[in-house]
Amino acid sequence: MHKSNWQAWLFLLPATLLFLIFFYRPLIENLYLSFFQWNMISPTMKFVGITNYHSIFVSAELLKIFFNTIFLVFILLILNFVLPYIYSYILGHLITKMQSFYRSALFLPSTISLAVASIIFLWFYNPIAGPLSIILNSIGLESPRWFKEDGLVIIAIATIIAWKSFGYNLIVMLAAMVAVPKELIEAAKLENASNWIIFKRIILPMTSPTALYVFTITVVFGLQYMLVPVNMITQGGPNQGSSNLVYIVYQYAFVFFQTGKSAAFAVLTMIFYVVILVAKYKFIDKKVHYEN
Amino acid sequence: MRKSSKVIALLCAGLMALSLMGCGGAQKQVKSTGGKVQIQYWHVAAESFGGATVKELVADFNKSHPNIEVVAKYNPDMYKGLTQNLQAAIAAGKSPDVVQMGWSYLNYAADNFKYTDIASVIAKEEPKDKDFFTKNFLPNVLALAQTDNGKQIGVPYSISVPVLFINPELFAKAGLDPQKPPKTWQEVAAAAKQIKEKTGDVGFFMQEYADNWAQQAIIESNGGTMLKKVDGKVKAGFDTPEAAAAYQLLADMVENGSGLHATNEEGFQAFLSGKVGMVCTTIGKRANFEKSAKFPVMVARFPVFQGKPLKVPAGGNFLMMFSKDAAKQKAAWEFIKYLESPEAMSKWSTGTGYLPPIKNIETRSTVFKELVKNNKNVQVALSSMPSLVKWASFPGTNGLQAEQLLIDARDIILSGKDSAANVLKQTADKVNSLL
Repeated sequence: MHKSNWQAWLFLLPATLLFLIFFYRPLIENLYLSFFQWNMISPTMKFVGITNYHSIFVSAELLKIFFNTIFLVFILLILNFVLPYIYSYILGHLITKMQSFYRSALFLPSTISLAVASIIFLWFYNPIAGPLSIILNSIGLESPRWFKEDGLVIIAIATIIAWKSFGYNLIVMLAAMVAVPKELIEAAKLENASNWIIFKRIILPMTSPTALYVFTITVVFGLQYMLVPVNMITQGGPNQGSSNLVYIVYQYAFVFFQTGKSAAFAVLTMIFYVVILVAKYKFIDKKVHYEN
Repeated sequence: MRKSSKVIALLCAGLMALSLMGCGGAQKQVKSTGGKVQIQYWHVAAESFGGATVKELVADFNKSHPNIEVVAKYNPDMYKGLTQNLQAAIAAGKSPDVVQMGWSYLNYAADNFKYTDIASVIAKEEPKDKDFFTKNFLPNVLALAQTDNGKQIGVPYSISVPVLFINPELFAKAGLDPQKPPKTWQEVAAAAKQIKEKTGDVGFFMQEYADNWAQQAIIESNGGTMLKKVDGKVKAGFDTPEAAAAYQLLADMVENGSGLHATNEEGFQAFLSGKVGMVCTTIGKRANFEKSAKFPVMVARFPVFQGKPLKVPAGGNFLMMFSKDAAKQKAAWEFIKYLESPEAMSKWSTGTGYLPPIKNIETRSTVFKELVKNNKNVQVALSSMPSLVKWASFPGTNGLQAEQLLIDARDIILSGKDSAANVLKQTADKVNSLL
């Protein structure tokens, strides 16, 4: 074992180097930047200690943005995790006809770029001339101003992200669903188990590793995909109604050019992610059933 | 087995090293080719916003100047996007040579970017052009590209003014005469209400870009100001009854349903599909609107308040130079002179809708003369040139955030959550703590 150690290190080296250079070094540099006042081009960086953190914690925007983030993640989990889960169960085990049609029809939107999807939805939600407002008008309702109301704007943005990632999540979930051995289900059916019992006792545990993966990418990718529609349609508005922990980092760095405050927000965002990851490890990982 | 895996590992490591080296080497090649001076021109003209004209102008210049090669680069997201890219480029030590800078970034650029002083380039390289500025521009136009202390940091290039675009078909349907567009804001509000009541469609939309340009026009036309100077320091000046009254007029229209509060693109979409009677936005959209609308778009002057003078902030951009070495500075100056020539200017104006800033262009270019003669919309826009004022530009490192606070204020006021007077007061306090 000891003899071949150097080989193991050699194999690890490329990945380790990449990680150190492109992941950990920027993290440390970001932490360093968060103690300065700087606009990326000024020759002098002014050391300001924890002023950046202090100004974030005393401002009203932190709380608003924090709850916006939680709300966005919550909606994304419903649209991109719970729904694909149910759909994939239906597609994999309950429907027998036209399976491939449903699969491709539901996957198709994932192939369209987010920028295009944003433009399509901007038209779709148009409160005066959009198709949704025409439908609402025909049943006597007035279309809300989707991108100009608190709360609604986050739901509208979430549907754009959902359009993009629903299909991929569905296909991944479906692969796990059809991998559940048919014999188990057949045996359960012989015992007169209902669809619900089959779902709860067989499907749920057998697909849990994949479900955990889909859960994680829903949160992580969702908060990345968010940048395109938010930047194109609302720029964080109305009055920061669609801003969140990730967008605010971008806004302070590349719109306001306040690198220090942006870095401080980035540190807080990282802490937020770490808390989520620890929670996931503590409460969810243990319940997941891995076959080997 | 062992051996082969070692070989593969080494190969992988080697490949990685090679590819990393490749990354570093590729960037060096872009420099000058064959004795030509290559300069970079950064612009914001998307395909729907004069992009084809930029290509035409650059190709034309490159053909007539065999020793210079201009490379044009489009920057998405208008002046905000360009300023962001410029800041990143300067941070990386690779600044472009000529850029289109938005008027509202004037103070920010002067305070933060190491730009090249064009006057000293002229004095050093082309003394014969020393009268260029006074010969080509009116003093009030030239002053647009000057900082508060009178320093000329660039050359005026594109001018836009806010105007009222009108859908004459919707006007007629509501029993209004499109030939007599509203002249005051009270008339706008009344016309909007009439359109809403008679046709069910929305009467009015004012642009909601990520800036406060059009809102500044209505505030200043009612006698308000955006900025004021207290003991030599710039402070927020928009917490006055005049500013609040102007903003409240817009909010009341939204409140009673005759005005629209939506994202900018939504407002334009609705107007182009014939669902909005009037849109207040930049004349720079003229060519695009005339082409995309299903109805003959009409332009009216930016309305006034009864008995008060019209004040419209100049939109558009000026040209700044960032070249460092003498050969590039000379080439960049040559290119700027070309862009400011009456012929090039006429093409630019035709392709976009921007108004040319140079003096007496009607007599100097037959193309422009024809354009003005045949397009009544251009005449209307030109008629508000004497009322040009500066686009308020917040100074200092937090200036860009101050601009955002006003955009947030706009959302609160127009959604009717609070009165304009209250919101403007709170925003002024926040802005003052930033400046």
